[in-house]
Amino acid sequence: MGNIWAIGKREFASFFNSPIAYFAITIFLFALGALFFWQEEFIEQGQATMRPFFEWVPWLFIGLLPAISMRLIAEEKRTGSLEMLITMPIRDVELILGKLLGAVLFLFVTLGLTAAYPLAIKLHGSLDLGPVIGGYIGLVLVGTAFLALGLMASAWTRNQIVAFLLGAMLCGLLYGLDKLVGVFNEGWRDAIATLSMRDHFETIAKGVLDTRGIVYYLSITIVSVVVGTYSLESRRWT
Amino acid sequence: MTGAAVTGRPMIEVADLRKFYGDFEALQGITFSVGKGEIVGFLGPNGAGKTTTMKILTGYISATSGRFAIAGHDGFENSLEVRRNIGYLPENAPMYPDMGIVEYLQFICEIRRVPRATRRARVGKIVEMVGLGPMIKKNIGELSKGYRQRVGLAQALIHEPPVLVLDEPTSGLDPNQIVEIRKLIRDLGREHTIILSTHNLPEVQAICSRMIIIARGSKVADGTVEELERQGRESTRYLVSTRLPDGVEPYRARSELNDIAGVTSVTELSTDGGVSRFAVTTTADNDVSEAIFGVAARGAWVVRELKRDVADLEKLFHRLTQY
Repeated sequence: MGNIWAIGKREFASFFNSPIAYFAITIFLFALGALFFWQEEFIEQGQATMRPFFEWVPWLFIGLLPAISMRLIAEEKRTGSLEMLITMPIRDVELILGKLLGAVLFLFVTLGLTAAYPLAIKLHGSLDLGPVIGGYIGLVLVGTAFLALGLMASAWTRNQIVAFLLGAMLCGLLYGLDKLVGVFNEGWRDAIATLSMRDHFETIAKGVLDTRGIVYYLSITIVSVVVGTYSLESRRWT
Repeated sequence: MTGAAVTGRPMIEVADLRKFYGDFEALQGITFSVGKGEIVGFLGPNGAGKTTTMKILTGYISATSGRFAIAGHDGFENSLEVRRNIGYLPENAPMYPDMGIVEYLQFICEIRRVPRATRRARVGKIVEMVGLGPMIKKNIGELSKGYRQRVGLAQALIHEPPVLVLDEPTSGLDPNQIVEIRKLIRDLGREHTIILSTHNLPEVQAICSRMIIIARGSKVADGTVEELERQGRESTRYLVSTRLPDGVEPYRARSELNDIAGVTSVTELSTDGGVSRFAVTTTADNDVSEAIFGVAARGAWVVRELKRDVADLEKLFHRLTQY
């Protein structure tokens, strides 16, 4: 546990030395702002709701979070510092979990920066807090799953760009699965849609903390951590 | 805290270690052991398997077969305990360039379980010991190669491990830095067991109590510097350069040379444009030059050069490690 925290803390601190992290977060906030003020949905609904916000943020996450997670392992592979880290008395899974923790802490900062939106809406009318809290919990779950997917991709390569593209592809595929299945007949479509991250997120964003959804996101996170750990271990045998 | 060492056993024990990279056998069964307080120089040309061995000992990669133990802990069954007992300086000392020196060493302390209360004092002491004092405010990325190497040494020492594994600790340093780092390593040898790799022979003579020479993935010599020097003196080598007549294959010539009484081995060094070069090794008191001429005359070889070559350590190294 101490090791995970030590690695997470170091990783979190190093985000603030990383121009890419600032760049990504700036683009994210600009894109969100642009959508919020210029997109008709946000304005025309004329009612105090965060629904459109929670619909858009996960799509933006597909671009943002893989950019945050891409360097986690790939960069250390490229510079060789991974060797230093791995030869410390740390289990490989602790290393992966520590990296994930660092990125999740950064996700909290990012979400903290979006608090302006619920506050702005609150100023213009009454805001039902239930769905807002549910929505944020949903974003943490989706975000953590995205970061874990990106981290796994980062463990596959020493090239950050490749890690980013793979990560974004995995996140995009899993999140938008239900939109991609139009070609199938109805039975298949429903089956595949239950595997879509968006399907589960929308339930949570309505303020319903649905166990199936939580289990679903945690499963994606855990599978990614396990696969990432094995990818890291595979160096021993090649 | 580092795990307790099991006493009464060598600090490093390696038995028949093998490593394949795909079809390539990088280590072809290496066996050696290092006792407490020894400084062993791991010597060999590039690609001989030095770094591979070190990466296995430190738990970065796994051997294909064989066993090893550090401070009595088995390398496969108890990898974490092995890593607790080792301080490792990888080649080129890769670290996080965006971290400050103190910040980085604090991080290592945390991972290495140096008790919180003693961390500050420990970092201060190590910084002093490796001579990082003047640079203390800098980020690792701003340091010169020599100072980065010192940070690498500092992180390897911070938890006072019984065993130090140093991969080319002086590579890329300027002559003054080399002298300082060597002195530091010699001083450390009093309390630590050290294995360091190098392809620099004077370095081994300067700091090591013992040397292990490896070539092409195998151990070819193991002993104190004096022992190997004696071994060098005790054998003599003749270099023969000859043009073989048509139809005489180099391997035939080689076996004829091998048949001379007193010859211990013959190596074909090269064959180029009909001219073959052989190295003929004998024990020291055997003069086989006339016998070599005799063989050549019988076979109608044109001898272009015959040279007697008494070995010092450098030549011994060259002889043991060349292809």
